[in-house]
Amino acid sequence: MSVYTVDGLHVRIDGELVVEDVGFAVGAGECVALAGASGSGKSQSCLAPFGLSPGIPAGSARLGKTELIGADPATLRQIRGKDVGFVFQHPLTALTPHLTIGAQLSEAWRQGGAPPPSRSDMIAALDRVGLDEPENRLDQFPHRLSGGQRQRALIGMAIAHRPKLLIADEPVSALDASLRAEIMALLDTLRREDGLALLLVSHDLAAIGRHADRLVMLRGGRVEESGPAARHLAAPTSAYGRELVAATPRLTDPPPDLAETGAPLLLAENVHVSFPRPGWRRGRIEAVSGASLTVHEGEALALVGGSGSGKSTLARAIARLGPLDRGQVCWREETLPERKRMLPRYRRLIQPVFQDPAASLDPQWQVSDIIAEPLRHLRPGLGKGDRAELVGATLQEVDLPAEFADRLPRALSGGQSQRVAIARALVSEPEMLVLDEATSALDVLVAGRVLDLLERLRQKRNLALLFITHDLAVARRLCHRIAVMEAGEIVEEGPAQRIIATPAHRATQKLVTASGV
Amino acid sequence: MRALLFRRLLTAIPTLLCVVVLSFVLMRLAPGGPFDGERALDEETRAALDAAYGLDLPLGEQIILYIGRIVRGDFGPSLVYRDFTVSELIAQGLPVSLTIGGLALLLSCALGIGGGLWAAVRAGRWQDEAVMGAATLLTALPVFVTGPLFVLIFALGLGWLPVSGWEAGSPSHLVLPVVALALPFAGAIAKLTRAGLAKALNEDHVRTARARGLAESQVIARHALRPALVPVASYLGPAAAGLLTGAVIIETVFALPGLGRYFVQGALNRDYPLVLGVVTLYAGLIILFNLVADLIYGWLDPRMRAE
Amino acid sequence: MNRRATPDNPRTGRGRPGRIPLLIVAAIALAALVVPPLLPWTHSAIGWDAVRAPLFAPGHLLGTDTVGRDLLARTLVGTRVTLAVALAAALVALIIGTAWGAIAGWCGGRIDEAMMRIVDGLYALPFMFVVILLMVVFGRSIVLVFIGIGAVEWLTMARVVRGQVIALKERPFVTAAEAAGASPVRILTGHILPNVAGVALAYLLLTVPQVVMVESFLSFLGLGVQEPLTSLGILVKEGADDMDLQPHALLIPGGVLVLVIVCLTIAGERLRDRLAR
Repeated sequence: MSVYTVDGLHVRIDGELVVEDVGFAVGAGECVALAGASGSGKSQSCLAPFGLSPGIPAGSARLGKTELIGADPATLRQIRGKDVGFVFQHPLTALTPHLTIGAQLSEAWRQGGAPPPSRSDMIAALDRVGLDEPENRLDQFPHRLSGGQRQRALIGMAIAHRPKLLIADEPVSALDASLRAEIMALLDTLRREDGLALLLVSHDLAAIGRHADRLVMLRGGRVEESGPAARHLAAPTSAYGRELVAATPRLTDPPPDLAETGAPLLLAENVHVSFPRPGWRRGRIEAVSGASLTVHEGEALALVGGSGSGKSTLARAIARLGPLDRGQVCWREETLPERKRMLPRYRRLIQPVFQDPAASLDPQWQVSDIIAEPLRHLRPGLGKGDRAELVGATLQEVDLPAEFADRLPRALSGGQSQRVAIARALVSEPEMLVLDEATSALDVLVAGRVLDLLERLRQKRNLALLFITHDLAVARRLCHRIAVMEAGEIVEEGPAQRIIATPAHRATQKLVTASGV
Repeated sequence: MRALLFRRLLTAIPTLLCVVVLSFVLMRLAPGGPFDGERALDEETRAALDAAYGLDLPLGEQIILYIGRIVRGDFGPSLVYRDFTVSELIAQGLPVSLTIGGLALLLSCALGIGGGLWAAVRAGRWQDEAVMGAATLLTALPVFVTGPLFVLIFALGLGWLPVSGWEAGSPSHLVLPVVALALPFAGAIAKLTRAGLAKALNEDHVRTARARGLAESQVIARHALRPALVPVASYLGPAAAGLLTGAVIIETVFALPGLGRYFVQGALNRDYPLVLGVVTLYAGLIILFNLVADLIYGWLDPRMRAE
Repeated sequence: MNRRATPDNPRTGRGRPGRIPLLIVAAIALAALVVPPLLPWTHSAIGWDAVRAPLFAPGHLLGTDTVGRDLLARTLVGTRVTLAVALAAALVALIIGTAWGAIAGWCGGRIDEAMMRIVDGLYALPFMFVVILLMVVFGRSIVLVFIGIGAVEWLTMARVVRGQVIALKERPFVTAAEAAGASPVRILTGHILPNVAGVALAYLLLTVPQVVMVESFLSFLGLGVQEPLTSLGILVKEGADDMDLQPHALLIPGGVLVLVIVCLTIAGERLRDRLAR
């Protein structure tokens, strides 16, 4: 007997069809996952029937015996307050900043018509979702809680009125890898103990494989395949599904075949970086304390860690694009000068690629000018014609057609922007790239293609890569070695296979668990 | 919150000191003094006058003496209104100016927040367009245009209300000045409220509240209104300054015995102590009002209280 | 996923560049520049034979004032003076504000902290009174009027520019430019300032009506522009003094003033909202 049944659902936004003929059913205690890239209509399928999106639904969506499609707003509101709970993606912004956790919990509790909860009721409710110090949390404002704590509080509020169905829209995407597993485990527990039906929206196939009973894979608003999650992830029935599964890196994949590496290229020793405390206060906050690492010619080294572990700061210090207090960075036995003294011949060696493709390109510059910028400064001897030729050749190398040269960044997709950023990094013929979460902001398929491109370039140009990521599976796919960072220190380092198979440090183990082995 | 207020106070005192010192120095640098009247005075009388008003001392000493007197509430004698001290003029004029300014502030907040909310709830409809169009027009109406215009229409034309005067603050004499002064600020507050609520209604936490099953009126009242009013709170400081300034014009147009009129007379006649006194007093008032705005700010958004 | 009504939603019309309002201001400015020399009267020519001529009187389209001066000529010249002062003062504000904000934002740290504290402090001043103080001290010259106004109106510009510069400085494309070997000066002129320019222009458009308001305010009190020169503020004052006999002497300059302020405000706000997306 299913709790929530969707049949032939269509959703239109401003007349445009964004969900077409979607159907699925969620039973008590069951988890159904809606998977797909961004823009596949998975959130709309979940939210529109409940009147939580501007989309206009048609078809059928029944909660128990109640038909949601065509119900008036007041009825939908009652149903939301009584029978359904929602958890959204961004825990940092999903709580009302000026109301205490207790006030918001009590509000959610009362919506189903229940009498106001006593203080001990609320403490028990927060304790149940694993929030520490529940007694104190009740009187705190949301900004005092961390992201993980806020997501727990939100889940506590979402189930406070004892709903039958919980809809979780990317509940862990905004959280650190190590927290993701914990929150997903909490949702599993609630499902088991309360017989809660869980409708999970996620782009993360690996997580879906671990937690969902059934899977509905969407693409462009249509169902590509649906059925038992384990079977469909092991052997997808559609071409799109196969592509998606193949592009999703997993720790259980066979080890990649990586070329041999050469002599040591870059040697960072005992690097310390600190920042002044904000405002007029004295003292500094240490972000990196005594990190050392080596990168060899043609080697891909992954620098892995949670947010705030100092991995980006270390990478910037190494590339001489950020502050460095103590320690030195050697390039083939020559010490690199400090940030302000980086002459063109040094700058040429290491080039960066960043996470956010949209912010990586100056919105007012044409693609050709963006790519030519390093040439203008790092190889000033080059004539205009040579420069244009090099830009064209580099565009080709990153698989972008030549007519992209005179486009502006706003006319590019995320993947295309990231390719332009890679082209800009490549054009001065560096020997090492620093990639700061370069694929994290991209959809799985796009990220997969960018990873393939990076691997191809690495082999062709014998490039060294310093690959900063929070995702061990991605690191494993591309990198020879992995260095794990926590609280400003490198806590473990070694060959990728070894690190993943037998993690020694607690931080590494946490990351491996989070990636689901 | 206390730390924030403390820090604000720490900036407020040097600011006030700077105002006093700078205005003092500027006044003394000015070519020509208060006694350069129609008739040239002979040297002796002039020296006697300068000595009587302390104008013969070194500049630094004059400033220190002056600050010392201000702290005790003594702004010195007025040079234009010979029979009064500046403190007496302030005691006469300030209540009038504060009555008009305070009422106008209340009126503009009520009209502005009310109108802004009314329009935001009807976002995209013609009522919204109409209110926002009117608000833009209101912000562009200078008091020196609306003031005389109101007199022309409501006093001279229709004869509903008196043309000018104070009459110990009788309500009929207050209506026109207060409304004329409040309108541009009401427009600005309406625009801020409308934009603030539109933004707040698109925030994630409002979606959470809606998902919880709250009625839209509850969503607005409990979850969206306070964040929406944050920009209004930060506008209160500049608004208070604007109202005090506008009061100068209003008092001139409606012949009200407020402090602004004394200030203009003092400025036109180089009455140093009077001008200095009013500038210092108004700077203090505005700083005080900014502190109140900070308190409101902290109530609207608890993140501001932390620091 | 929430698709919100974007500022340039074609249905509401919000966010379209304020072309019509700007055209209106341009037309007024053009008339103020071109027409006065073509009129038979100058703005200060006294004509005792045609005192308080009504609207559409022969030879005086908008009538004359209490001493027989042609109101059309006076309104046009007054508009010209007001707009010129406003533009000059807004440019002063633009230059000081952009420089101050860009330096504070670019340098960051203690320098930024100190520079912005100064701005905070100045914000707390009753600045109109400071301007009046300046007028009293240095005499009422038109140059001082706009330097004085510009020198206080730069505060908002400085805050806005600083915020923009700080946001841009953190953008990866600025770091990428550093990696590309661009010097700090090149980064500032090539990447930061061009991206600040739009917002600065929007606030320039919003500063002009502010200054128009301040200048008229001062002139109304007799502390701004001095006779024989005239400005919209002076005309409003003269009109207000004579409004029971000749209401149009108040309504016409007042109307032009309001129209200019409304148009510039709408154009500036639209540009600002469009760039804020």
